[in-house]
Amino acid sequence: MSSSRLYVPQDTPFELTEIKLSKASDDELMEISRESGTGLSLDEMRRVRNHFDGKGRNPTDVELQAIGQAWSEHCCYKSSKMFLKEYIFGIDNRQVIDRGDAGVMEFDRDHAYALRIESHNHPSAVEPYGGAATGIGGILRDVLCMGAQPIALVDPLFFGPLNYPFRKLPAGVKHPKYLLGGVVAGIRDYGNRVGIPTVSGGLWFDESYTGNCLVNVGCVGIAEKRNIRRNAVRGPGDVLILVGGRTGRDGIHGVTFASAVLTEDSEMESRGAVQLGDPIMKEPVIHAVLEANEKGLVNGMKDLGGGGLSCVVGEIALAGGCGAEVDLGKIPLKEEGLAPWEVWVSESQERMMLSVSPKNADRVLHIFKLWDVPATPVGKIIREKRVRLYYDGTKVFDLELGFLTAGPEYCRPCHVSEGTRRKKERAPKAKTKYDKDLLKLLSDQNICSRDWVIRQYDHEVRANTVIKPLHGKTGHWTHGDAAVLKPVEESFRGLAVATASNPFAVAGDPYRGGKTCVDEVCRNIAAVGARPHSLTDCLNFGNPEKPDRLWQFREAVRGIGEVAKDLDLPIPSGNVSFYNESPRGSVLPTPAILGCGIVRDIRKCVTSDFKREGDPIFLVGETGPEMGASAYYRSTGSHSSKVPDVDTAALRAGMDVIIRGIERGVIVACHDVSDGGLAVASAEMCIGGDVGANIGLEKLGRLRSDVKLFNESNSRWLIEVRKGKEKLLPKDGRTKVAKLGRVGGSSLVIGSSRRLVDLEVGKLAKSFGSTLWRMVG
Amino acid sequence: MKVSNARVCVLRIEGTNCEEESYLSFKRLGAKPEKVHLKQLTRTDVTSDEKRSLADYQILVLPGGFSSGDYVRAGAIFAARMKSRLSRDLVEFVRAGKPVLGICNGFQILVETGLLPAMSGIMTEVPEAVLSTNDSARFECRPTLLKKVNRGSCAFTTKIPSDKISAIPSAHAEGKLTFPVDRAKRVVKELADNDQLVFKYVDPEGDIAGYPWCPNGSTENIAGICNREGNVFGLMPHPERVFFRYTHPDWTRNPDGAGDGRAVFESVLDYVSKKL
Repeated sequence: MSSSRLYVPQDTPFELTEIKLSKASDDELMEISRESGTGLSLDEMRRVRNHFDGKGRNPTDVELQAIGQAWSEHCCYKSSKMFLKEYIFGIDNRQVIDRGDAGVMEFDRDHAYALRIESHNHPSAVEPYGGAATGIGGILRDVLCMGAQPIALVDPLFFGPLNYPFRKLPAGVKHPKYLLGGVVAGIRDYGNRVGIPTVSGGLWFDESYTGNCLVNVGCVGIAEKRNIRRNAVRGPGDVLILVGGRTGRDGIHGVTFASAVLTEDSEMESRGAVQLGDPIMKEPVIHAVLEANEKGLVNGMKDLGGGGLSCVVGEIALAGGCGAEVDLGKIPLKEEGLAPWEVWVSESQERMMLSVSPKNADRVLHIFKLWDVPATPVGKIIREKRVRLYYDGTKVFDLELGFLTAGPEYCRPCHVSEGTRRKKERAPKAKTKYDKDLLKLLSDQNICSRDWVIRQYDHEVRANTVIKPLHGKTGHWTHGDAAVLKPVEESFRGLAVATASNPFAVAGDPYRGGKTCVDEVCRNIAAVGARPHSLTDCLNFGNPEKPDRLWQFREAVRGIGEVAKDLDLPIPSGNVSFYNESPRGSVLPTPAILGCGIVRDIRKCVTSDFKREGDPIFLVGETGPEMGASAYYRSTGSHSSKVPDVDTAALRAGMDVIIRGIERGVIVACHDVSDGGLAVASAEMCIGGDVGANIGLEKLGRLRSDVKLFNESNSRWLIEVRKGKEKLLPKDGRTKVAKLGRVGGSSLVIGSSRRLVDLEVGKLAKSFGSTLWRMVG
Repeated sequence: MKVSNARVCVLRIEGTNCEEESYLSFKRLGAKPEKVHLKQLTRTDVTSDEKRSLADYQILVLPGGFSSGDYVRAGAIFAARMKSRLSRDLVEFVRAGKPVLGICNGFQILVETGLLPAMSGIMTEVPEAVLSTNDSARFECRPTLLKKVNRGSCAFTTKIPSDKISAIPSAHAEGKLTFPVDRAKRVVKELADNDQLVFKYVDPEGDIAGYPWCPNGSTENIAGICNREGNVFGLMPHPERVFFRYTHPDWTRNPDGAGDGRAVFESVLDYVSKKL
C-alpha cells in the first residue's frame, strides 16, 4: 500500500495494518477504497469512518476488508433489494419450508426439495474452465448446506455468436468459441466427477454477450424433512467446524470483482479473484456432510461462497441470534504467509462451516477423517452479537454484527433512457414457400440441437433421471422441455426441472419479457405432465447505476413477480448479477429461470417426440399477431415492438388441459411452442420420432402465413393425441384446442391447400443436428 | 445360499459416485448390500464397529464414478490403493468363486488391478489391457445397445437370452478397451476361445457398428469381459441405470417390461444362490 500516512503497519509477527480513517479527507477515503480493492463508495467509506470515530479507534485492514465484502452489491443486494421486496419476496404459500442459501419446498409428506440458481459470469469471462467449474461447486454447497442431497444441476449459458469475426473482438475479450468450449468442459469435468447429473439448461447467443458471457448454474436437492437444517447456529457454546478445502490466495475479492464492470484489464487484474475447483474434495464433502447431518450431529451449516469466512461466520451466527469468536491461526492453509485479512476474505473452494454442539464435535471430526476431508474446529459461538478474531493470540477484529450486516440499500434513479427513438416496424416479405426459412431456423445457433453439449454431461448418474434432456426413437433425438427426476425410492412422485430465458423478449419489452420467461418455464414443466410448484431466478443485468439498466431490471422483475404471484408460485431463492457490461455495452437483460414442478406419477410422463403414425395433432392455446423478438424476425432482419404478452388466466387454463390430458393418457407427445414457433416445434417432434406429419393452418384464423408458422405467442403447446381418444381430451370451454393434422409419412408438410413447408424428416434432422458440431465440434 | 443372505460389498472411496444405484439394484432383489469405504476393509482411521472384512461378503461391487478424480488414469489410484493392502483378500475372494462386478470406473479398476482379463492367473501383476481415452476424446453420455456374446461362462449374464439386444447406457471418457498393439488380435481370439467376451456394442439391427453406436472405439466393439471362470465381470455401460423400464431413454415409446439392466443383477444372485 502506497501512502504511509494512511496505513500504519502494526508491530506483530504477522501482517496487520491500522487504517487511518479518522482524519482522512474524501479524496483519501476513496484512495483507501481503491487501494484496498474493497470498491466501497464515498458515502459508504464515510459511514465506516463515522462508525469507527464513535468507537474512538481506527479499523484494522481485516475489518475494512470484511466491511467491503459484506457491503458489496453481490453480498447485500443494495441496488436490487427494493424491487425484489416489492415484487418477489411477498409470494408465499404453505409449501415454502425455508428461504436460506437455497429455497426449500415441500415435496411430499416426508420429503422436501431445495433449489437455487446463481451466476458465475465474471470469473467465467476471465477463466472459463475454472469459472464454470467453481460455479457448479458453489451451487452444490448452497443446496447441501440446507441438509439436502443434490440430485440435479442445470446450466443456462449465454455467449457471443460462435462465428464472431476475430478481428472485431475487443481487446482483452476471449472468443465465444473458446469461452463455450472452456465453460462446457468446466461444467463437465466438475459435474461429472461429483456424480450429480446435469439435466437441463440452455444456450443463447447474441452479440451483446461477446464481452461478458453469462454462466448461470442451478441445483436441486432432496432431503427427508427431518434432515433439513437452517443456515443458523443453535446457540452460545456451539463449535464452528470448518470442513473441506484449505484456504489460499485464490478467490480474493471475488465479490468485488463480481460487482464491477469488466474491462480490458480484468484478465490481468482479477485473475486472482477466480477460485480453483477441486471436485474430488467436494465429492467426499457431500458424503461426510450428509452423513454427519443425518446422524443428527449438526445444528446448522452454511457454505463458504462470496466473501468467504468474513461473510459466513457473521451470517450463521447472527441467524441464530448470536456472535462468534474465531481463531484465524487455526484455519488450514494452502500456503504459508497469508495475511489475516487474506485468510478472512479468501473464497477458496470446497469449504463449508458446520455449527455443532461440543458433545458431538468428535463424532463429526471422525466422519470427516474417514473420508480424508480436513475438518477443523476454528471458533465458538458467543452470546453477544459481534465477531472477534484472534491471530497468534492478538485480537485483530472486533465488530458488531448489526453494523457489519447492515449494508446500504439504495433507491437509485430508474427510468427509460431519454432520447430512445422507437425503432420502425418492419415485416419480412410474404412468400409462398418457407422451406428455406424453416431449415435456417432449425440450424440457427439459438435453436439447433444441443446434443454436442448435453452428451458431454452425465445426465443420468444416480439413475433417477426419468425424462432426460434428449429423447426420441433409438438413434434419433430431439429436445425435451423439462427433465423429470424420481428422487424417492419408495414413491413414483416426480420432480420436473426446467430452465427458461428469453433475453430477446426482455430487451424488446422488459415487463412482457419477464412475464414471457415465467410463461415459458411453466409451459416446459406442464409439457411433461408436471404442475409448476416453485421458481428460482438468476437476474443478469447491466450496471444498476445507469437508470435505463435499472429500469429494465425493475420492469422484468415486475413481470416475473406478477405471473408468479397469479400462479401462486413462490420464488424462495434467487440471485442478482449486475454489472454485466464490457466496454461494448451491456448484455441483453437476462433473467434465467429455473422452475420445479411436481408429477404425481412419473409413469404418466410424456416426451416431445411423435410416437405413432395416424395419431391426430392439436394446438393448445391462442395464436396472435405478436412477432416482436421472434427468432423469425431476428433471422430476417425485421422488427416489431409487439412482444408477446402473457394472459395468466389463459396460461393456467392451458396448463390444466395439458396436465390432465397427460394424466389421462390421452396426450402421448407434447412440446411447448417457443423459439421458431409452430414450424420449429413440429419439426422437432418429427425429428425425435423420425416420422413425418401433415399439418394445416386454417384453424389459426386470419393471419399471415409466416405469422402462423413462426409466431411465438405464449401459453401454447403442440400435442399428439392417441388415435380414437380425441374425445377424452379435457375441455374447459375457454382454452382453444384446435386439430391441425396427423402424424405420418416421412416428411413434414405444413399447409393443406398450399404447401408452405414440405421437407423430409432426414433433412430437418440434418439442419437441426449439425450446427454446433460444425462450429465447435 | 439364500439370496436374502447374500451380502454385497459396494466398495467406495472419494469420487466413487454410482454406489447408491448399485446398492439399490441388489436391495430391490432382496439381497443384503452395504456401502463400504475402502478404509473399512484396510482398517484405517476406523472405529472397531466400522471395521469390515472382505471375506464376510459373497459379492464385491466396484461402482462407477471418478475414483480419486481419475487424475492419473481412470481407476489407477483406486486399484493401487486396493492392491497394496488387499491383494491377498481379493485373490482369496475370487478363488472361492465369489462374484466381482466392476461397472464403468469399476471395470477400469478391475483392469488396472489385474483382475481382468486375468488370462494368466487370478490377478496379474501388471495390467494386460487398458481402458483408454475414447476416440472422440471426450466424455460420452449416450444410449448404447449391447449384444451378449458370452456362451455361458459369465455369472452375470445367464438370464439374458443370447439373441437379445440390451439397451444399457454408457457415460465415460475412457472406455476404449485396448490391448498391446503387437498381440491385440491374438489376445482377442484367446478371450473369445476362453469365453471371456461378454458384451459387444451393436446397432439396432444387432450388427457391429461404429460411432456413436460404439461410443469409444473399443477393440472389436468390446463393451464387457469376464475372467476365465466367469465370476469376475467388468463392463463400461451402466446396467444399474436401467434397472427399471422408466429410466430407459425411450421408455415413453415402449413402456412395458423390466429395465434391461435388471437381468445382470438377477443373474449373479441366481449364481450365488446355486453355487455358494
